Amino acid sequence: GPLAQRACPGLAAGPEEAEQLVSALHNLTRHVVYHGLTRAEDILSLFPENFHQNLKNLLTKIILENITAWRNEAQASQISLPRLADMDWRVDIKTSSDSISRMAVPTCLLQLKIQEDVALCGNSPVLSALTVELSKETLDTMLEGLGRIRDQLSAVANK
Amino acid sequence: VSSQQFSALTEVLFRFLTEPKEVERFLTQLSDFATVNKISLGPLKNIVKSILLVPNGALKRNLSSEQVRADFIALGLSEEKASYFAEQWKVNSPTLTRLAIGQTLMINQLIDMEWKFGVTAGSSELEKVGSIFLQLKLVIKKGSQMENVYIELTLPQFYSFLHEMERVKTSLESFS
Repeated sequence: GPLAQRACPGLAAGPEEAEQLVSALHNLTRHVVYHGLTRAEDILSLFPENFHQNLKNLLTKIILENITAWRNEAQASQISLPRLADMDWRVDIKTSSDSISRMAVPTCLLQLKIQEDVALCGNSPVLSALTVELSKETLDTMLEGLGRIRDQLSAVANK
Repeated sequence: VSSQQFSALTEVLFRFLTEPKEVERFLTQLSDFATVNKISLGPLKNIVKSILLVPNGALKRNLSSEQVRADFIALGLSEEKASYFAEQWKVNSPTLTRLAIGQTLMINQLIDMEWKFGVTAGSSELEKVGSIFLQLKLVIKKGSQMENVYIELTLPQFYSFLHEMERVKTSLESFS
């Protein structure tokens, strides 16, 4: 792939060898991330016995430095339902309508910015905006529900 | 129409106005009234139609009960009956107002919210994950159809969402 091609000149190796190298490195790092290895001994034990000692130590050191970032990225890019990216709100007062000429009814407009499944979008995130109107009654009911979620979360956290 | 009959008819009319969905009940009560009082249903329906226009117009134009009374007198009702009807209208107007407000346009009205939360145990990239997620299902009325919207939130996002919604509540309450 492109990485192997870029590495070729610096490595003084042919394109095939470079491919193999990149592939091997990729498999190694994926294995470490997947199994959540965090100790140097665990990573060192992955290398074959006659592997170059200093190179082995250097690779292990670099992998350990990057492991947290890689795990976080894997978690951020895993499949999911559309995710909440941002939210904004405003409160309006409705003063009249076709059915009644005078009133003063506060209402809430809530705008949710939703990002479609990250795993599907890759590097070009698809963001959609959904604007929803809530009456005071709806908001009260929603807050009741959100409060129950918060209570359940505390119960789980305190176990 | 005697004043007793008129007040009975008024009661039927206002019961319909305050519960506009009960159309069948209204029509049944009307035909009962016609039979009991030996009035033919056809002309009665026409009269009722014109009478019903007055309360609706009153809401649209924000009329006082004196103006409603004047409208009825213009329609040909006696002063006594017009006053009686205007009184009834005044008594019922909070309910009627609330109904009219309820009919007012709402954009993408939030009808319902369901939720569940759980723990992501593992994925194709990570053998063990253990992160908590919250999934919300919002039921939204778009025009005449319902649409379900599914969203996932992390815990920090949930707490921040809850906080913002509490701020909205405070704001709405200060304007009520």
